[in-house]
Amino acid sequence: MPSPPKTSSGAPPWGVFPTGAPSLLRDLPILLAGFALFYGLLTFARYGIGPVNTQAEIQLYPGALPKYALFSVTRIAIAYFLSLAFTLVYGYVAAYNAKAERFMIPLLDILQSIPVLSFLPPVMLAMIALFPHSQLGAELGCIVLILTGQVWNMTFSFYSSLKSIPREMHEAAEIYRLSWWQRLWQMELPYAAIGLIWNSIMSVAGAWFFLMACEMFVLGNRDLLLPGLGSYLQTAANAGDTRSIVWGLGVMVAIIVLIDQLIWRPTIAWAEKFKFEQVEAAEPARSPILDFLRRSKIIPLVARVTIRPAREALNLYFARARAMPSERPRRVLFTKWMWRVLILAGLVATAYAMIRMGQMLVALSSAEVGGIVRGAGATFLRVEATLVLAGLWTIPVGVFVGLRPRLSALVQPLAQIAASVPATALFPVVLLMLVRIGGGMGIGSMVLLLLGTQWYILFNVIAGASAIPTDLKEVCGVFRLGTVERWRKLILPGIFPFLITGFITASGGAWNASIVAEYFRFQGKTLSTVGLGAVISHATDTGNFRVLLAATICMAAMVVTLNRLVWRRLYGLASTKFKLET
Amino acid sequence: MNPPGADKVRDALSQGHWDRAVALLQQLDPAAAADVMMGIPFEEQRVLFRVMPDDFAATLVSYFPYYHSYVLLHTRSIESLRAIIDKMQPGERLMFFDELPGEAWQRLMDELSGEYSPVAPGGEGAGAEVAGAISRPIPAVEPIAEAVQVEKSFLQPDGRQIQVIAPTDLSLEPDTITALLGPSGSGKSTLLRILTGLIQPSKGIVLWHGRPLHDCAPKLAIVFQSFALFPWLTVLDNVETPLLARGMEHSERHDRALRALHAVGLQGFESAYPKELSGGMKQRVGIARALALEPEILFMDEPFSALDVLTAENLRGELMELWLGKKIPTRSIFLVTHNIEEAALLADRILVLGRNPARIRADFRIPLKQPRDRNSAEFLLYVDYIYKLMTQPQLESAPPSAAARAVKAPYPMLPHARPGGIAGLLELLNDRGGKDDLYHIADELLLDVNDLLPITEAATLLDFARTEKGDVEITDKGREFANADIPTRKVLFREAALTHATLLQQIRNSLTSKSDGTMPLEFFRDILDEHFSQEETQRQIETALNWGRYGEIFSYDSESDRLFLHRLEHTGDSQRDLLHQG
Repeated sequence: MPSPPKTSSGAPPWGVFPTGAPSLLRDLPILLAGFALFYGLLTFARYGIGPVNTQAEIQLYPGALPKYALFSVTRIAIAYFLSLAFTLVYGYVAAYNAKAERFMIPLLDILQSIPVLSFLPPVMLAMIALFPHSQLGAELGCIVLILTGQVWNMTFSFYSSLKSIPREMHEAAEIYRLSWWQRLWQMELPYAAIGLIWNSIMSVAGAWFFLMACEMFVLGNRDLLLPGLGSYLQTAANAGDTRSIVWGLGVMVAIIVLIDQLIWRPTIAWAEKFKFEQVEAAEPARSPILDFLRRSKIIPLVARVTIRPAREALNLYFARARAMPSERPRRVLFTKWMWRVLILAGLVATAYAMIRMGQMLVALSSAEVGGIVRGAGATFLRVEATLVLAGLWTIPVGVFVGLRPRLSALVQPLAQIAASVPATALFPVVLLMLVRIGGGMGIGSMVLLLLGTQWYILFNVIAGASAIPTDLKEVCGVFRLGTVERWRKLILPGIFPFLITGFITASGGAWNASIVAEYFRFQGKTLSTVGLGAVISHATDTGNFRVLLAATICMAAMVVTLNRLVWRRLYGLASTKFKLET
Repeated sequence: MNPPGADKVRDALSQGHWDRAVALLQQLDPAAAADVMMGIPFEEQRVLFRVMPDDFAATLVSYFPYYHSYVLLHTRSIESLRAIIDKMQPGERLMFFDELPGEAWQRLMDELSGEYSPVAPGGEGAGAEVAGAISRPIPAVEPIAEAVQVEKSFLQPDGRQIQVIAPTDLSLEPDTITALLGPSGSGKSTLLRILTGLIQPSKGIVLWHGRPLHDCAPKLAIVFQSFALFPWLTVLDNVETPLLARGMEHSERHDRALRALHAVGLQGFESAYPKELSGGMKQRVGIARALALEPEILFMDEPFSALDVLTAENLRGELMELWLGKKIPTRSIFLVTHNIEEAALLADRILVLGRNPARIRADFRIPLKQPRDRNSAEFLLYVDYIYKLMTQPQLESAPPSAAARAVKAPYPMLPHARPGGIAGLLELLNDRGGKDDLYHIADELLLDVNDLLPITEAATLLDFARTEKGDVEITDKGREFANADIPTRKVLFREAALTHATLLQQIRNSLTSKSDGTMPLEFFRDILDEHFSQEETQRQIETALNWGRYGEIFSYDSESDRLFLHRLEHTGDSQRDLLHQG
């Protein structure tokens, strides 16, 4: 008998038995993670059904942080899954029902332009009215708010994925008579998966932004406080407790990095197989966590006894149901009438809401209108100035980094971590510093807006600069173009599409952030400056719904108009004239 | 379709009375006799032709299409072939020879002069076998699928109807490979989709075994041009997908899929993903997926056109092996292709589709035995004949239907050829002594007919070349163009385009009638929209821009989407003057 080989390559030739123990050991973390998740859910449920906790107090010692982090993460998770469900239903209906599509898609476009934070007061009030006796009301309000912040881009992505499924693939599904269930799982979801995953990542990052803002805020005479990381940071800033602030920020960054590493990276690597490409990618995304999960023995075992039989049974059930003759004519008539009734009800409700809103708006005093107009102008200037400022430093830096691949490999992860910290979490900290050095809210709000928006531009510029083809750079070298010429002829046109994408995202983010950046309750004082965001926040504080409504409509209208008139045209230009075709 | 006496001849044939059948034929008018002959199965035609007297054969030969006469003549011995040709009317004989393409003409001349040794492709032996087999009565062939007066129109956005398929009858018979040939954009794929039920015809009905398509569950499958595989499923899962949709249990599904994969030579690749496979392998998966369903008719939509030449050739051979060896339960194959050689190699029956709107221009059988030799004279006859059909729209073997005639004279279409392509063709012709067979040129340039036909059409339209009977010949103008330098070519091109191309004339006239010499392109788009589908309009505009820019007839500014009378017209003219002086 030959002696066992000493090199570690290849499978060991000895028996099957010894491999069992390490495998169990390897699977232990997976089991433990499962238990931890279960415990977390239990804790949150117990807290959720509990009585109203009006005098909730945030404890500032670091030991309390894991609990707060758990609460915050759970809120985001719940909101995310609700968004996912909404996305699937809305996107599916819009993609396949031509009649519904005609109003569902413009509606989606408008909804995603409305600044979410102005939804906060009405949503909170409604939810608290629904559940007056438990913590559930405020929690639900917070979740709904996060949902409205993250759902639209996911829905858009799913819808446009469905619409772009190649025609022959649809035809194959039809000619081979796939049931809707089989089509969903074998064609539509896989096709939409990658877009959905990237948009989920963006949405969850956005969710942190809103979570920080709505875990602790004032509504009229009521102080609403939900235990979580956001409220912890605000409380710490209010108390001027630097140590706690550092702890809080540290935990938040850690959580964001963990979520990225434990959830998003493996998901992206796993989704490689959904890439709709005809040849294999040269450098597929990888994730050690995914490799770890793939090596596990427990997961395939569990899948074999649960998912696979269920999948088989469901597929066969729907396939056979499809083959069965159904009572079609009656159902068609029924659904037709149901639709008519629904549409009619929708129209009536819309008309009623319009009338009520009209009545409210008519009652506006001229001083209030003046305030809104002045605020709108000020915020417009502030947002644009912020974009210019952000562009001024990010374009040179981004190009510098992007043209040097080794440098950008170094800078990208660091910048990503910096960007992942939601700007709203930093607001209290920035305010604390401003108060200490004695700056006003006018500068303060610009700093806050800049914090929230610059990253989008920076990342896009880096991406654009690194996408400039080498041969074009060499051409500039060969023709000895000077610095100015090089920027005019190559770099600026080259990064243009990316720059526009960055500016569009940044602009939307800045408008939204202005609501929290221009008006702040801090250490018992109200800090504010002139602006539409301040008008909205002030109206929220004082319970002036008339002004709140008018200002929100004003902001939404401005965002939509700017998008249509400026950004969409620039985007069109970017995707035609300045597109680098391969 | 059923001349008097045809039934009697058929009766005589079904009883095996060959002599009586010949006698009956001789009593008919020769044209009618030729019709009856064309209507019976080819094997019987061969026997009949062999037993009929030489002078009757000589009469009939001048009534058949030349390719058919050629094939029938070669069922007889060399001596009787010479005798028959001797007995033909001198005028008819001249015409027959004139129509033959080069190779066939050469071989026939060799045979007549006694230089040809009938060793390899002899008809005698095969004929004798057939005579023995023919004595069975012929069963009436019932089509599997049948399209009755199907037509398709699309509604333009402005409410006008554009007919893309004129009323068409079409039946698919068992044991037949039917090829549907046509230029790109002629509606071949639409017709396939109507036959399979993927598209509803605007009028008419598709029957499957005599019952409307939507009333039965037809056993059909499609092989797609783009393969339409699900990239996220393994090869095996892809093949199993349609079986699962039929509600088939796992074990049976698995067995069937493995058998289908085995048939196409993919055993061992079950767990691979499509992106790991080459194009040819992917299409094998597509074929296996179709075959696993055991379809009665296998529909193939340009199945080999996304593959390279060698792979396509290989795959065609394997498909024919499966089909001829009866290794698959498929009873009929319907192949959509734009490749003339492919159709002539594979098909028992060829339908040639005309454009604008699509209708069947020719429907004929290719009685050559499989496997076919693509260098044999008979094979080239058919290829040449098809080229002739496709280059000469007036050559119709079926009378145009009433509806087709009712349509007003269509707007003259620009063939989608670039000036560079036209110049290339003319140079080639010029070098070749001015005239060549189209299939030779296609062969030489490795060009698809799809690419070659528009170029020859354009050259013909511009009066640079003539196409006749599958040959293309350069004109004096064309020769002048081919010999000219670049500026002169532009001048010649402009003159030709302004004389012969309606669209360019219209554009030029409109531009000169305007004082500022500029028009929006949209104006011409609107004009074209009245005559063409949206895609066709787009292609017409692109071609017109190409031609107009090359000929310096006008210039186009894509940013304002406007046409300008050429800004350099003055210099253009002076250039021309210079040339004339020189």
